[in-house]
Amino acid sequence: MLNEDKIKLMNEIAMFEKRGGKNIFPVNRYFRGDYISSRMLRSFFFYTFCYILCVFLWGLCNMERLLNTLNLDELTVLGSRAALFYVTGLVVYLAITFLVYRRRYEYARRGMKVYVAKLKRLEKRYEFQNRAKELTKEGG
Amino acid sequence: MVMLLVLKERLRSFYGKYAALVDGIVKFGYSFLAFYLLNENIGFMEVLKNPLVPPAFSVLCAFLPYSLISFLLGVVMVVHIYSVSLEIALVTAVFLISVMLLYYGFQPGDSYWLVLTPIAFILRVPYVIPLLAGLSGTLITAVPVCCGVAVYYILLYVKQNAGVLTNDASVDITQKFVQIIRTMFSNDMMVVMILTCLVGILVVYLLRSLSVDYAWFLAIVIGTIVQMAAVFVGAFLFDVTVSIGELIVGVIVAIAVAMVYHFFVFAVDYSRTEYTQFEDDDYVYYVKAVPKFVVSKPDVKVQRINNPGRMRRGAREKEV
Repeated sequence: MLNEDKIKLMNEIAMFEKRGGKNIFPVNRYFRGDYISSRMLRSFFFYTFCYILCVFLWGLCNMERLLNTLNLDELTVLGSRAALFYVTGLVVYLAITFLVYRRRYEYARRGMKVYVAKLKRLEKRYEFQNRAKELTKEGG
Repeated sequence: MVMLLVLKERLRSFYGKYAALVDGIVKFGYSFLAFYLLNENIGFMEVLKNPLVPPAFSVLCAFLPYSLISFLLGVVMVVHIYSVSLEIALVTAVFLISVMLLYYGFQPGDSYWLVLTPIAFILRVPYVIPLLAGLSGTLITAVPVCCGVAVYYILLYVKQNAGVLTNDASVDITQKFVQIIRTMFSNDMMVVMILTCLVGILVVYLLRSLSVDYAWFLAIVIGTIVQMAAVFVGAFLFDVTVSIGELIVGVIVAIAVAMVYHFFVFAVDYSRTEYTQFEDDDYVYYVKAVPKFVVSKPDVKVQRINNPGRMRRGAREKEV
């Protein structure tokens, strides 16, 4: 016979998996530190790549000036300024990444707790049903 | 009002039945409009300008997620620009790649703002975007909206200067770069519109989150007024000209669209608001409960109490 409570619970679990699964399950495979540091590493590469592209564009724009007034002092000043921009931007971007992914990890952990609680309720239902079947057999 | 609520219920039940089909049609319409406007405004690549291209791409896009549709549109846009000027194509590609990696690296799933914003600007209703973004999103939505404004001004620059850019082969490439970047990024109107969008989204978002009656309505009205004020102040500070007629029409359309969105997403009956207060071990709760407008879809059944076929037969028997 169909058990309506069990079907409702299974439906709830399936909906939870469908809606939140994408954000919750992959995150829970990592420890907090590992998850955040892997995302920060990815952000580091993204930022560096974009910075290189922007420097490339800047170089194309100022090619003439660079070639005409090429001396060591000016190159050193330019290099230190570029490094300052890079480091400042990188620190800000990594700080944002850290905050975003820390929040996301906490959210995923809370979601996982809810999911596990639902699964436990379902397991109890199964246990109860099996026990009831056994008792019926014994009685018969 | 009741009729509108019934219509809303009908639409909701229709969507419930045919969600996959409706989603596909919406994606098709969205991508068709975007590809069509791209072709109309900067359709410089002959192969892509073929009138069959927008429908063909749109059919493909009907099965793709919004992020991929945005990516495809970005590629098509860069290809069109490339056929006019390699330099602008390069600048645009760097800009789009930076947005994709630095912002969409966080997977926020709101890439449609990046497409909808230029569409609204091309259709001369730019004030819709801050209202809808403030009502439906968060403050972070300001990032893709501002990038969308920049994309629109890149498109506008290419459209207005296509002739000059194509025939300007004699100029040195570095000079061309300097000229392009200076013109594109020192566009005062772009700065004014970015600031207007930022202020609009901020005000609408903050007001609609307030716990006051008619918060969404207030957010729409005050958000619109603030946007108009921002445009006037910006025009005055940056010395740019704004067409008053276009502004008024744009604002009216923006309010209308925002009201429709408000009706479909947040229709509540403030006259039946209830306040309750209770407590548990840790907190005292002051709850304000505002009921939603709910009407049930009329279920019309026609019950025949006479049978015309039988009556006709009976009349014939009498005649005989």
